[in-house]
Amino acid sequence: MSHLFDHNGAKGQGYSQPAPVLPASEISLPSGLSRKELPRWPRLSEPEMVRHYTWLSKRNFGIDTGFYPLGSCTMKHNPRVNEVIAQIPGIADIHPHQPEHHLQGLLAIYYEMQYMLEVCAGMDQVTLQPVAGAQGEFTAVRCIQEYFRLRGEDQRTKVIVPDSAHGTNPASAAMCGFEIVEIPSRVDGRIDLDALRAVADDTIAVMMITNPNTLGLFEEDILEASSIIHDVGGQMYYDGANFNAILGITSPGLMGFDAVHFNLHKTFSQPHGGGGPGSGPIGVKSHLADFLPGPLVGKRAAASDELETAVDENWYHWYQPTHTIGKVQQWHGNAGAIIRCWAYYRRYGRGLRTMSEHAVLNANYLRHAIHKATKEAGVDSLVVDGAEAKVAKHEFTLSLAPAKEAHGISAMDVAKGLLDMGYMAPTVYFPLVVPECMMVEPTETESKDTLDTFATHFAEVLQVDAETLHAAPITTPVRRVDEVYAARNLCLRHPYDDE
Amino acid sequence: MVDQLPNLGREAEMLAAMGMTSIEELFADIPSEVRMKGDLPLPPPQSEEEILSDARRLLGSNVALGERVSFLGAGLYRNYVPAAVFQLVTRGEFLTAYTPYQPEVSQGMLQAMWEFQTLISELVGLPIANLSLYDGSTAAAEALTCSVRVHTRKATQKDTVYVSELTPPDRFSVMENYCQGAEIKIKLLRHLDDGTLDMDSVSEAIGSCGVYVEQPNPLGLLDGGVTQLKEILGEHTALIVGVQPVSLGLVEAPGHYGADIVVGEGQPLGSPITGGGPIYGIFACSKPYLRLMPGRIVGRSIDVDGKTAYCLTLSTREQHIRRHRATSNICTNETLIALMGAMHMALLGPEGLYDLAVRNMTACLMGKQKLATVEGIQMPHSNGDHFNEFAIQLPGSTQDCLEYLDAVGIVGGFNLASWYPTRTNWLLVTFTDQTQVQDIDLLVKHLSGWISTLEVAA
Repeated sequence: MSHLFDHNGAKGQGYSQPAPVLPASEISLPSGLSRKELPRWPRLSEPEMVRHYTWLSKRNFGIDTGFYPLGSCTMKHNPRVNEVIAQIPGIADIHPHQPEHHLQGLLAIYYEMQYMLEVCAGMDQVTLQPVAGAQGEFTAVRCIQEYFRLRGEDQRTKVIVPDSAHGTNPASAAMCGFEIVEIPSRVDGRIDLDALRAVADDTIAVMMITNPNTLGLFEEDILEASSIIHDVGGQMYYDGANFNAILGITSPGLMGFDAVHFNLHKTFSQPHGGGGPGSGPIGVKSHLADFLPGPLVGKRAAASDELETAVDENWYHWYQPTHTIGKVQQWHGNAGAIIRCWAYYRRYGRGLRTMSEHAVLNANYLRHAIHKATKEAGVDSLVVDGAEAKVAKHEFTLSLAPAKEAHGISAMDVAKGLLDMGYMAPTVYFPLVVPECMMVEPTETESKDTLDTFATHFAEVLQVDAETLHAAPITTPVRRVDEVYAARNLCLRHPYDDE
Repeated sequence: MVDQLPNLGREAEMLAAMGMTSIEELFADIPSEVRMKGDLPLPPPQSEEEILSDARRLLGSNVALGERVSFLGAGLYRNYVPAAVFQLVTRGEFLTAYTPYQPEVSQGMLQAMWEFQTLISELVGLPIANLSLYDGSTAAAEALTCSVRVHTRKATQKDTVYVSELTPPDRFSVMENYCQGAEIKIKLLRHLDDGTLDMDSVSEAIGSCGVYVEQPNPLGLLDGGVTQLKEILGEHTALIVGVQPVSLGLVEAPGHYGADIVVGEGQPLGSPITGGGPIYGIFACSKPYLRLMPGRIVGRSIDVDGKTAYCLTLSTREQHIRRHRATSNICTNETLIALMGAMHMALLGPEGLYDLAVRNMTACLMGKQKLATVEGIQMPHSNGDHFNEFAIQLPGSTQDCLEYLDAVGIVGGFNLASWYPTRTNWLLVTFTDQTQVQDIDLLVKHLSGWISTLEVAA
């Protein structure tokens, strides 16, 4: 065990610093503002610090460690050159308030990223400012809110969200001040058009939906849903969490959407970093473009005296949309993430379609392989598809309800059993419409061999007796963690000796 | 793309196993009306070497501040980040993990974030810290909405918060966007000519839900008056203080003078400025705010064997459980950058933090001393104490001055007219641990040079 706060070397400092330019004695502070006691931080030398964090890293599971089929999260490989690029001083050491002629390279990349996302999504204008998917949702709904205010349609106070939606959808719309209307999904998670028609009227501002849906199935009725909403004057919002399934094949624009967010940390391989940073640009159709948060990047032909600093024949510049909602992050979004995702998209270019094809190929193949392996092992009666469908898209759901019924083995038990096999577990208990749900998303960067082996191991886990599975995992750094204990005995920081 | 797709060339084999003959069959459920026609209008795929080469060319054309002498800060500060931080944070086990939904295999990041919470808690003098929000502006905005959730029932100024009039417009705009949905009214706190808070203005905020001020303020000024605010406002108004975290090596922790919520741009601890993102927002609070605060939080627990183990806790505040009644919509945050912050703090230790604060503050002090000798420059708040930066008033246009300095390789600072339109000819000059004595001398020399061109013109 290594505890940061056990380290307390008398002179422990992990890096020595140059002397200040003036002696500390020259500093004066307003009365009452001088700090009396320094924070009780630990004292580590560099070797102790390096060993502590290396030890911690070994107690953490990432894509680099093993297969990470976490549904809805698109845990694809993160190409390493992107990390090298993000450390170039021309991105790591630039300030958003520098003048345009200092940042032509950055602006050119922003312009290219706006364009790339526009053509992939079938939208007219993209902003890169939102820094996470949820913030993208919030930003787009804010833009639509201002659009309706300007049109005098203040009676549009409601946002429709299917009950199978990601929790961020209703949370983001509520943050904008909208009332949430939740509509039930059909058993396969698809939109219930009758339920939609029943609530569609001129009080609706937006419908938020993801396609493929949260069960990994394509909404075949999406055009009909769009026209139901458009017929009552509402706007269609596309949650881009599942965008990895459709690049180059279809687009939110073609499906009738007016606004969309992208999770660059899913589709475009910004590393998840254990919970962030992400990047959540949004794209909109032209009627919403004037409301986007500014500044956006535009271009014009470079003047002759600008050619020396220009990166090509264009001059890239910031501009503010006419009716901008203002800012949702103080700077220009997560520039470092946008650079990584630019490097990622360049690897595929016009071949991004192949990426989505392989994501869908892998998901369907794994679904098939799991059914085959469980059948061969004689445990196919314990697991069924979460929804009937000939093909899934980039992810699929399984239901462990039969296992629960027959042996008392829950989806969580199977998840923990998979941890013991050296895998990250799939997403469990989401979406809620599937009982004992397990949502599996292999991504395009896993080999056939990995998928085959996982399927075999999955079937092996289903052969394990309930008692053993209830006790799983046993090979992990700790065994099942008591989340109720954590909530009842709140310990949110190191307890110092005198506390 | 070949190097990223292990199953290229194995499609037929995989399809055959499923009884299919073409990839197209996998997309049979997508109606033809919504199919994309033709290829995406994008460039052809590139190899890693070509991408790296393009990145070096494009990013190389940006002016990195380290290539120049820079006095640009205004919310982002170029502190040195030790090499070990970069080496460790790119370990794949941290870099490529998702949010720790399976705690048994995520103990490393969970423990690191619990340690981060402790480091921030100690730094700001409050018992609770979350594991980061997006940046300082969203942290401030979420603090305002949090203060309303906690206090509006008993407030006499319902749904009302007060914010310092010096708050930079871009930060203020984020606050407005976050507050408008809950119909929160944002009123302004005034400052006196010497830059300090106007205490008469503060008394107008009594009975409101929350008050937001910054220490140091956006013009770098340390304001002793802020320590009196809690006494004036009382327990039913949240005192929210925005900090530059490095300053807390010298300046009293806001939690020790009554702050209920402390927020700030965590960036100077652990992160390069990176064009303004990804960085991380600090959010810390006292106990009454715990159950209505935004963001993820790690608790220490035990596993079935009674061994110490960590997990996410208090999730019932969050969007994936509470949906539209959640305290915030935040899901993805800035964990990896917060980890960089934790690593930097662990390397500094208490004395190292003090030394770092001294380096930043003395660099600023020397800047003040030397700029005071430049004829024609005035310092509006010369009697105050400053951390990192201060405003100067120029004898001509700030824009002209910055262009003159740019031509000699100096990034001269931030034009304050873009924040405060009436403050024409004001410039914010910033000094950090990276500022050298000769940099300051160079600034003095060329500012004098610029002023002499004005005199010639006159």
